[in-house]
Amino acid sequence: MPHQHPFRNEPLLDFSEEQNRASVQAGLREVENRITKGSFYARPIINGEELRSGDTFARTDPSDQSTTVGVVEFADIKMAERAVATCAEGFPAWRATPVEQRAIALNRMASIMRERKSLLTAIMIREVGKTWREADADVAEAIDFCDYYAAEMRRISPPRLTEQVMGEENHYLYQPRGVTVVIAPWNFPLAIACGMAVAALVAGNPVILKPAEQSSLIGNQLARIILEAGVPKDAFAFLPGKGEEVGPYLTGHPQVSMIVFTGSRPVGLSIVESAAKVPPGQRMIKKVVAELGGKNAIIVDEDADFDDAVRGVLSSAFGFAGQKCSACSRLIVVGSAYEPFIQRLAAATQDLIVGNASDPSSFLGPVVDEEAHKRITSTISSASTQLTLLAQAKVPAEIFQRGNFVPPTIFRDVPSSHPIWTDEIFGPVVACAQARDFDHALRLATSSEYALTGGVFSRHPQNLAKAKEEFRVGNLYINRGITGALVGRQPFGGFLMSGIGSKAGGPDYLLQFMEPRVVTENTMRRGFSPDIA
Amino acid sequence: MALDPVLNSKILEMGRLIFADLGDTDPSLLDPRYLNSLLMRWSMSQPEFKVNLFRLVDVLPTLQSNEAIAEHVREYLIPPAHKMHPALGWFISLCKNPLLANVAALMVKQGVKQMASMFIAGESPTSALPVLQRLRSERYSFTVDLLGEFCVCEKEAKEYQDRYLDAIETFGSTIPSWKEGRPIIEGHPGEISPVCVSVKLSALYSQTNVLNFERSVSVLSERLAEIAQRVKKQGALMYVDAEDSGNNSIIYEAFKRVFGSQEFLDIPYPGIVIQAYAKNSEARVDEMLTFARERGAPIAIRLVKGAYWDFERVVSSQNDWEFPLWKKKQSSDAHYEYLSRKLLDNRALCLPAFGSHNIRSLSHACCYAESIGLSKKDFEIQVLYGMAEPIAKAFMNRGYLVRMYVPLGELLPGMGYLVRRLLENTSNESFLRHTFFDEDEVSTLLKEPHLQPEDGALPPQAAELAIHNEAPVNAEQIHHAS
Repeated sequence: MPHQHPFRNEPLLDFSEEQNRASVQAGLREVENRITKGSFYARPIINGEELRSGDTFARTDPSDQSTTVGVVEFADIKMAERAVATCAEGFPAWRATPVEQRAIALNRMASIMRERKSLLTAIMIREVGKTWREADADVAEAIDFCDYYAAEMRRISPPRLTEQVMGEENHYLYQPRGVTVVIAPWNFPLAIACGMAVAALVAGNPVILKPAEQSSLIGNQLARIILEAGVPKDAFAFLPGKGEEVGPYLTGHPQVSMIVFTGSRPVGLSIVESAAKVPPGQRMIKKVVAELGGKNAIIVDEDADFDDAVRGVLSSAFGFAGQKCSACSRLIVVGSAYEPFIQRLAAATQDLIVGNASDPSSFLGPVVDEEAHKRITSTISSASTQLTLLAQAKVPAEIFQRGNFVPPTIFRDVPSSHPIWTDEIFGPVVACAQARDFDHALRLATSSEYALTGGVFSRHPQNLAKAKEEFRVGNLYINRGITGALVGRQPFGGFLMSGIGSKAGGPDYLLQFMEPRVVTENTMRRGFSPDIA
Repeated sequence: MALDPVLNSKILEMGRLIFADLGDTDPSLLDPRYLNSLLMRWSMSQPEFKVNLFRLVDVLPTLQSNEAIAEHVREYLIPPAHKMHPALGWFISLCKNPLLANVAALMVKQGVKQMASMFIAGESPTSALPVLQRLRSERYSFTVDLLGEFCVCEKEAKEYQDRYLDAIETFGSTIPSWKEGRPIIEGHPGEISPVCVSVKLSALYSQTNVLNFERSVSVLSERLAEIAQRVKKQGALMYVDAEDSGNNSIIYEAFKRVFGSQEFLDIPYPGIVIQAYAKNSEARVDEMLTFARERGAPIAIRLVKGAYWDFERVVSSQNDWEFPLWKKKQSSDAHYEYLSRKLLDNRALCLPAFGSHNIRSLSHACCYAESIGLSKKDFEIQVLYGMAEPIAKAFMNRGYLVRMYVPLGELLPGMGYLVRRLLENTSNESFLRHTFFDEDEVSTLLKEPHLQPEDGALPPQAAELAIHNEAPVNAEQIHHAS
């Protein structure tokens, strides 16, 4: 009898409970200990073996650049080749493994992550600069992906009859695709990496996981959990590496069947392009699933509840320093609400607490690394020469000097042709503009090249109805913030340049990792049919 | 857990007398409030309409133009034709006519303002003085609460604090010199001063947040201390209000920090609020009694059922957190009585204030107090301004000190408060909407509440046993209190 696990979201920690605050604090102490001992590292794992390449990279804490959190060892091309070969060999056995066994491995992963929650949370706080709440939500989402896809696979996998017809059986069933390369981002370093990997695995595909350089340490924890939970060593490989080296090699490899990617638009499009080429020895057409970002807008209507709207914009725009694909980077305020609303927002922005991610009082921490810091800072300073700065938060000097901090920044009256309005910045920067009326606001909101998330604050029934119909984005949120989609409850993903593929954490997601087959059997022999006899 | 039958029959007797008094205070047809209560009564029979009506009330103050008001009225209030109230149909047609929309908008604005004025005493401390004077001349005490928007920045936090400082100053420099400023009940500790404020603490700091715990507590303590200084200077009284369970741990901590400090030991009866609907409310009572003991001077404790039930339900359900409150209203009522006894038993440590509109709950407190030998000067009753005047009057006439909780503020931030009051007034569980009770209803409303099975009540047999077990404990407590 297979286990039945009805899906339930892993609750976020209620930080009003003192023991929950204490548990994260304990995790941080443990991580600090290990950092001091220099015991955090990430190395390639192929066929269950940990490998050394000698090509290392010291990952520093974005809140405090003088601290090395751990050392990452990059895989080389030879290792990538070995990983593909091993996984290709392991494929038939993993495909033949009963679904229930694969699903149980995912449920086991969820249990392990629950047990190690405070450790995993603390690692992300130190490695990528997530604040407490964000890091906790990341772990919860990873757990959700495991339990949700396990439940989904149990639901989808039994072969089903297409139609009832006499003398014939028509079975519809799914098979896995083959070796799947998962290229994960650093912004949800546990959740998204885990979600993409376990979806592929539970469907019966071997997985090669390449974490982002900036988040290989938490990636290493994930890799260990995957193996510990019972995924065979020849069905999973972990390949920390430089994106521009190992990445193209893996995606262009003839034995790779599928590429699952979350990251920037240029990289995503280049993967789509390379996947279309068929090198000698390749037997299938590669499938690409890619989630690529957004330039998400919130519309504040004239009759909006400003209390809610200000808080909604702040958390959506500046949570994790705006480094979420779902983040709000454009604000559109309707008519007469413009001036009063942006003034209130400006005042609120100036008082936000920017600080070390380990400090629980920080509303936001640093951006992920020096490169991001340099890029966002220079975008802000060049925009400042052309646009009017509405507000910028203060970062205490002693904190500012230590890490990659970018103060939350808002520009006002931004023309819709300006790059600040059109391009994804992936930092705590918001462009705002006034709309003449609600229709104009909708046009401004949807004129983006992206269509990932969007939000409306309004109490006008007709405008809300119109928004539901015409504000065409993957995830539209009404009278609340636009980030923090929950697995199962708010399946997540967009369209246009925001990506291809169906929604993560939704009922169609696993289907992308499988190919459907139909088996038709004539059951009538010599005029004798079992369904009549 | 069942009450001593003698005590319970006294409670029933008192409750019946109070109910009998209510009949005399029916709102008159000439009272402008009559129209509003008519509308509310009608809306209760139309749940969908009620939601829309309240949503409309909620959005109105933000609407700038008459056009926008007329548009919102049209969109919110178009019910299915067969359910249309004739007066409403006429009104909506008014809103559809561009020439008359201005008139309609004015009528709506007036209506909402009037509705708000039933529950909100004025926009500023000065403008509220006449209401406060009337209340005191009618022998009601008061505590003033300043309604505010959610505070998103330090500028707003500072403005909010200034409003409190200003209100205390304004009241302190006028009210004690009125002839109505004299104590309503001579020697009642709640009448040490006629001036009293209730502070919504979390709005004094824009970054109040459980994760920002230490800083929240220290900043709020500082700002509360500034208000306490002003209260001390004016010889006034004050309460710190309770909020949702997220902020409460910060609030209790800040309260203890400020009123446990040497500087404020001489403030008489600093008040804190405990919500009986919270499962941890007994622990809170214990915490506060311990605090009062360590402080060496009594505090005031307002015991309420709690006003955030729906909000907490939504938050805990969306997050799949354990619900921190009793699920059933009756459980809250039962727990309220239990905590009422505990507070009265510890009169030496606290001045209990029973904040409720429930006749059973209030009668219970009064009768229990009497049964353990306390006087009417050992506690007070608190009700919301505009909500339960007949009930307040009935208790006041019996010689109890009744304090009205009076909100002040502009319409916009007042809307949230107003909608909550409207919801309470029109909820099916509320008996505020009634003007007449038949015998069966009175009996039901006065029945002794018990903790419900959903909230982990004891099985009946065990409950029987508990009666016997409880008796000696009670006797000891009585002894202790006297």
